[in-house]
Amino acid sequence: MCRRLFLFSLFTAFFLLSISVVAAQEPVTLTLWSRDANQAFVRQLVDAWNETHDNQIDVTIIPSAEFVTRFGTGAAAGEVPDLLPIDLIYVPEFARAGQLTDISEFASELPYFDQLSPSHVRLARYEDGLYALPFTAEGSVLIYNKGLFEAAGLDPEAPPTNYQEILEAARAIRALGDDTYGFYFSGACAGCNAFTFLPLIWASGGDVLSDDGLTATLDDPEVAAALEFYQQMWNEGLIPPGAQADSGTDFLNAFTTGTIGMAGTGAFSISVLKNDYPDIDFGITFLPGREGGVSSFAGGDSIAVPAGAQHVEEAFEFIEWALSDEVQLDIYAQTGQLPVRIDLAENEYFEADPRLTTNAEAMALGRTPYSFVYNQLFNDPNGPWLQMIQTAVFGGDVEGAVSTAQERFTQILSGQ
Amino acid sequence: MTDQVAPSVTVTNIARRTYRRRRNYTGLFFVLPAVLFTFTFFVIPLIMTAFMSLHDWPLLGERKLIGLDNYVAMANDRQFWNSLLFTTRYTLLITPVIFILAFVLALLVNLPLRGVGIFRTAYFLPVVIGLGTSSLLWVWLLNDRVGIINPILSSVGLIDRSIVWLADPNYAMIAVIISVVWKTVGFTMILLLTGMQAIPEALYEAAKVDGAGYLQRIRYIMLPLLRRTFALALVLSVIGSYLGFDQFYIMTRGGPQNQTISVVYWIYTNSFTYFKLGYGAALSIVLLVILGILSLIQLRLLRDDTAF
Repeated sequence: MCRRLFLFSLFTAFFLLSISVVAAQEPVTLTLWSRDANQAFVRQLVDAWNETHDNQIDVTIIPSAEFVTRFGTGAAAGEVPDLLPIDLIYVPEFARAGQLTDISEFASELPYFDQLSPSHVRLARYEDGLYALPFTAEGSVLIYNKGLFEAAGLDPEAPPTNYQEILEAARAIRALGDDTYGFYFSGACAGCNAFTFLPLIWASGGDVLSDDGLTATLDDPEVAAALEFYQQMWNEGLIPPGAQADSGTDFLNAFTTGTIGMAGTGAFSISVLKNDYPDIDFGITFLPGREGGVSSFAGGDSIAVPAGAQHVEEAFEFIEWALSDEVQLDIYAQTGQLPVRIDLAENEYFEADPRLTTNAEAMALGRTPYSFVYNQLFNDPNGPWLQMIQTAVFGGDVEGAVSTAQERFTQILSGQ
Repeated sequence: MTDQVAPSVTVTNIARRTYRRRRNYTGLFFVLPAVLFTFTFFVIPLIMTAFMSLHDWPLLGERKLIGLDNYVAMANDRQFWNSLLFTTRYTLLITPVIFILAFVLALLVNLPLRGVGIFRTAYFLPVVIGLGTSSLLWVWLLNDRVGIINPILSSVGLIDRSIVWLADPNYAMIAVIISVVWKTVGFTMILLLTGMQAIPEALYEAAKVDGAGYLQRIRYIMLPLLRRTFALALVLSVIGSYLGFDQFYIMTRGGPQNQTISVVYWIYTNSFTYFKLGYGAALSIVLLVILGILSLIQLRLLRDDTAF
């Protein structure tokens, strides 16, 4: 009787155990929300995962402008995805608001952790935790039209390395005709200029924010110097007049007309130009400082696991897979996406087009402002960053622009 | 005799009261869907907005009850007052333009000419496309490289160089006003037209007999009798102008130099760029109160005591 009971309970225990093991191995469906800017690549990546894994990922694409709002309302309702690629500049804010899971333990176990894009990792740190890992990478660079360089008597293989050289090249190209202009930037787009104008300041050794993102340093003389540089190009008519009203629509379009000598841009433009505008012979170089030096704005998305996500372990599996050698090379690099690991900036796929390697190197040495109010400072079309550039460059008042911006930045930062 | 009448009167009274009660209930059922709709989609959100306005309510993070602090902060918010001033200035500029143009157009399409229906349709057509769509259309019409406005103006000699309309502090507001007038004048025109057509011909004929000329007929017959319609059109137009957002967001992005930030644009920026939902809600409530007062004032001033 006792033995029968014992055997019976042993059998039941074994039965329940095997059920739970089977249940644990049953494939789950993970949810991933992505902004529409990356959708082609994200879908490609997720499809590759879904083909080779039992756990499936369901992708929801959200318009970029609504992304944060959508997530915020979802979080308030308790409905969050398992995986959330976020524009890396938002990660500090999200982390501080307690919306993300601390993944420092998981991250520290990755063998290539030190090779991950430093800017992404830095922005994912908050207090003692790490809240995201790099997902997609972007670095800003200077693109130039080799055809126009040659026509203007400039060496197409020797792009400018400081402000003076850009100025002289722009003058030479402008002299080619009424419709050609030496330089372009979107004068009414706040984010575009964070991407392409900040690096000029950084390369010159200056900065607009302290390292912890809490103090504004717009009174740095390199800021005024960079503004004066743009102002000079504008006053000499080296930039098309329509640039003043461009809110970003023409960020790349202007260059694709073949009438612009140089412009700041990102890696996305390389594939667009190669596929849609093969007639334009273009080169990529680093954004330079006033007297040399190089820098870049390291952008892109970081991937995080929201607090309250249902399938945390499985989400980690996906992240680890996405950061692995094979995926970074065979899916990212092969399709022209920058790998997020700086040890893979030089790879077999990029050998064919060294411009991509330049871009990847730019991203590796790139910086990103760390701020809890990035939107209010840098992305707001009515915010102090864009106002400063417009007042200084188009309005001609560099000093006033800088002091007003310094005031506003300080006000916003102190209001946090 | 009263004994003979009383019972039938009582029966009739009861029947009348029951009939009236049933009619009241029937009426109630007919308006119930509309009442429910208004309640669900207006009253409840309004109460929720008022509730939100009493909080510090960030999109991400904890919300905190702060009472009337948002309203106090508003008094010190320079951009809010600038936006209010700008929106008022914009409304004062655009309303007469719309009304004068709409009135002239209504007079024209009121003429019993053949084919006038085509013109009515043509003037009304821009009303049916969205304000966002029309703003985007005008962005490209006004573009200095590919737009047609600059070439047209220079070919008639009005300008000698391409103007970057939306970046020029002198021209940005004018450009926005032109695009909005183009889009909305048809609606006011139709409203005034229906008012005009409700005036009996006999009145005009009587005036003609008395020797009144065209302008005198308009001044002494048409305008006074148009008062109610005019009041309606005015209230709608002023509210619409005060709530202007699409045109500023799409065409000027609040620029140049933050000069064209309307009140609703400022509400949008606070709510969806700064993610300060509580403050945005407070701004919305204040705007509601302002519009309510404005509408009341207009209706009072244009109160129509005449009846014909």
